[in-house]
Amino acid sequence: MFLTLYSLLAIILFLAFSAYKAAEYAKMPMHGRLDLYPIPKEGGRLEYGGSYYEELEWWRKPRHVSHGAEIIDMLKEMLFIKKLFDNQRPLWWLSYAFHLGIYCLMGWTVLLTVLAVAGLNGVAVMGAGAGIILVLKILLGIAGVAGFLLALIGSATLLIRRMADGSLRRYTTPQEYFNLLLIFVVLCTGIYAWSLAPSFDRPLRVMEQALSLQPLVLSGAGVLHVVLLGIMFFYIPLSKMSHYVGKYFSFHKVLWDNSPNTPGSAIGKEVEKAAGYRPHTSWSAPHIKGNGATPGKTN
Amino acid sequence: MENVNDLKPSDLGRPDGQLTKLDKLMDLPAPYDKPGMEPDFKEIKPAWQEKYCTTLDGFVGVDTLQRPKTKEEEDEFVRKFLSGLEKIFTDANNSSLQPLSLTFEYCAKCNTCSEACHIYEASGHNELYRPIFRSEVLRKIYKKYFTKSGKLLGGFVGADIDVNWETIARLGELAYRCNLCRRCAQTCPLGLDNSIMAREIRKIFSQEMGIAPTPLHNKGSVLQLKTGSSTGINKAAFLDNIEFMEEDIEERTGLKIKVPVDKKGADILLIHNAGEFVSWPENPAAFAILFERAGLNWTLSSSLIGYDSVNYGIWYDDTQAKKIVQEQQKAAQELGVTRIVIGECGHAHKAAALVGDRIVYGEDKVPVESFLPLLWDAVQKGAFKFDPSRNDFPVTLHDPCNVVRGMGIVEPQRNILKIIAPKFREMTPHGVYNYCCGGGSGFAIMNSLNFPDFRNKVSSRMKFKQILDAFADTAADPTILKYVCAPCSNCKGAIRDIFEHYEATTKFNIHYGGLVDLMVNALADLPRPFLTFDE
Ligand code: SF4
Ligand code: SF4
Repeated sequence: MFLTLYSLLAIILFLAFSAYKAAEYAKMPMHGRLDLYPIPKEGGRLEYGGSYYEELEWWRKPRHVSHGAEIIDMLKEMLFIKKLFDNQRPLWWLSYAFHLGIYCLMGWTVLLTVLAVAGLNGVAVMGAGAGIILVLKILLGIAGVAGFLLALIGSATLLIRRMADGSLRRYTTPQEYFNLLLIFVVLCTGIYAWSLAPSFDRPLRVMEQALSLQPLVLSGAGVLHVVLLGIMFFYIPLSKMSHYVGKYFSFHKVLWDNSPNTPGSAIGKEVEKAAGYRPHTSWSAPHIKGNGATPGKTN
Repeated sequence: MENVNDLKPSDLGRPDGQLTKLDKLMDLPAPYDKPGMEPDFKEIKPAWQEKYCTTLDGFVGVDTLQRPKTKEEEDEFVRKFLSGLEKIFTDANNSSLQPLSLTFEYCAKCNTCSEACHIYEASGHNELYRPIFRSEVLRKIYKKYFTKSGKLLGGFVGADIDVNWETIARLGELAYRCNLCRRCAQTCPLGLDNSIMAREIRKIFSQEMGIAPTPLHNKGSVLQLKTGSSTGINKAAFLDNIEFMEEDIEERTGLKIKVPVDKKGADILLIHNAGEFVSWPENPAAFAILFERAGLNWTLSSSLIGYDSVNYGIWYDDTQAKKIVQEQQKAAQELGVTRIVIGECGHAHKAAALVGDRIVYGEDKVPVESFLPLLWDAVQKGAFKFDPSRNDFPVTLHDPCNVVRGMGIVEPQRNILKIIAPKFREMTPHGVYNYCCGGGSGFAIMNSLNFPDFRNKVSSRMKFKQILDAFADTAADPTILKYVCAPCSNCKGAIRDIFEHYEATTKFNIHYGGLVDLMVNALADLPRPFLTFDE
């Protein structure tokens, strides 16, 4: 029973810590503009990196913001790691195998959950199944095998490359090796535990046990796998492996945030609010008076 | 001294000796591919070693960063640095907190950004100039002193650097080996920006320790806030300059133009980089000719800072940047203009249009616009009669980072050049993916000690290579005049110095200048060419 609660807690904390991290970034104060072109939401100008500043008296013109183009660009980055593909192809193969493996494992987990819920509600999900269950089971098999293999190969090759390539090694801290190693070991223990009695139904049964708050029936290797998996889930959001959170902010809220502060705009109000804020800490160089702000209203 | 490729971030804390020396620089193309075509680095003088921090790479960029005379002075220096470092993650630094935290926390150390950096490339891949090198040093020090994980786990999380005067001074110098051009950030799969880290180091030095290169601070923003211009030109001198400019226009073109100054209720307040009046007076003159021809209702301002668009604060000190932005807005509001138009100065574009956009607010905020769409609009409306054959020489375009990568103004300048310069050709790469001129973030005006050597031979090297490549068909032929159009004052300064250093003008007839100068040169009805190329 302990393992059941432990694994459910690991997932809940993973989600909660990730959400907390996102909230921390979201509530950070407004920052100075750091537009970096090309910016996808400029739509038609994206191809050459242009912006509304190319227009005469831009502030008098309606602003065309292409959210579609922004979403497409974000998806390209999330699903294909496009910048790495464009700028460092050899590393992309390894990194993409790893990330694709993780995406497959996420899909595998969702499928396991769907099938387990169905199974707990009396649908026959064990064995080959038929109809939609058959389709889901086939997908489950593909996602599981591809996920474990790709993530395993990806994490191993990323680790080896990091150790072998001096230009990466000299910037890598022991903790950063540990991060990759942790994932690698979690994957290895999972594969090993499964290989002791290979069947696609076993993980499904474990998921059913977890969701119905029953004790998990596992081998020794299975217990080790679940314990390490839990540690990984606790740890990821606290480490820089939570870059799935950061990446949204660095693109969407920093490099691509080119909304101008025009009179009456929401940004204008935020600027006014930020200008009125009196910081608790202040800089100390002699040329800075008080808190560094010129007293009085900004304009 | 380390082999250039063995250097690692924790080496910045090594007790003594120069960390690296530049020996194998990136090759230049013809006609600079033969030995002896470029001057060597100057030797470091022993007196500099005693006074400044020469132990990074042998160059001195921060002339105010001087060795302490006593142990107390050293301790105080270290204390102040750490206090400033702590502050960058507090509300004293609200305007940078989010982008800084993201880059600080999430770098995957994948080095995808390295090859995007012209300094790293030009240095022959010297490890010291890899974009993440200085970022990693900053992370290490911060972790060691200010994070629980660093205090508990030390080297395991990378908190493995010793801090003393030498380490911090090296880091201060290293912050001035980055042009803040942000080309590296375009390639980062996580959207991180190492220029932020370089700039934060500069801010700690200036805002907390009171240390910044003299040309940026004491003779830069401080002088500007006091006299009105970082050139030292005060109001009276400015008005003299305008008078001189009017005479010069008449002499060159026969046109009698009364340049409007402090014209209340004008539509446009045009602000130039005041360095133009000193170094390239033909540029503001060309603006006056074009604006008059286009029938624009414009004016210059003679009020404090209203006649100098520069804002060096954006390179090293938020508080100075803010004061300057506010003064420029004040000048515009006093005249009652409807818009500020920034002339040929890239960083001034960024300062007034972007930095100012998050400082100034309310109904009185005067919108800021680049001169480029304005002139392109006038060209489209047929305000000028051009005879492109007057510019019948190879022309290439340098894209100022702040205008292009930072603001997305890419096409107007190209559209104009395609009309006025029949032999226009692009550099590779260009537009938003351009390389910095090597003068960005203050380098163009930092001329103390041996820093110009670093600029001319390293940070500007990629730009020089691009220029030579763009003129590959004619570069070596001194009978053919070639023109690099650089619509930015600082970029022009850097390119002027490149051409002097490599004798590119005297040996190969390669010239530089602005866009408006080239436009006026193409005006069909002027009695003689506006540009004289008599250097
Ligand atoms: S901002 Fe420019 S100069 Fe600085 S590290 Fe990045 S590419 Fe290099
Ligand atoms: S590309 Fe981004 S994540 Fe990779 S090393 Fe550079 S800054 Fe770090």
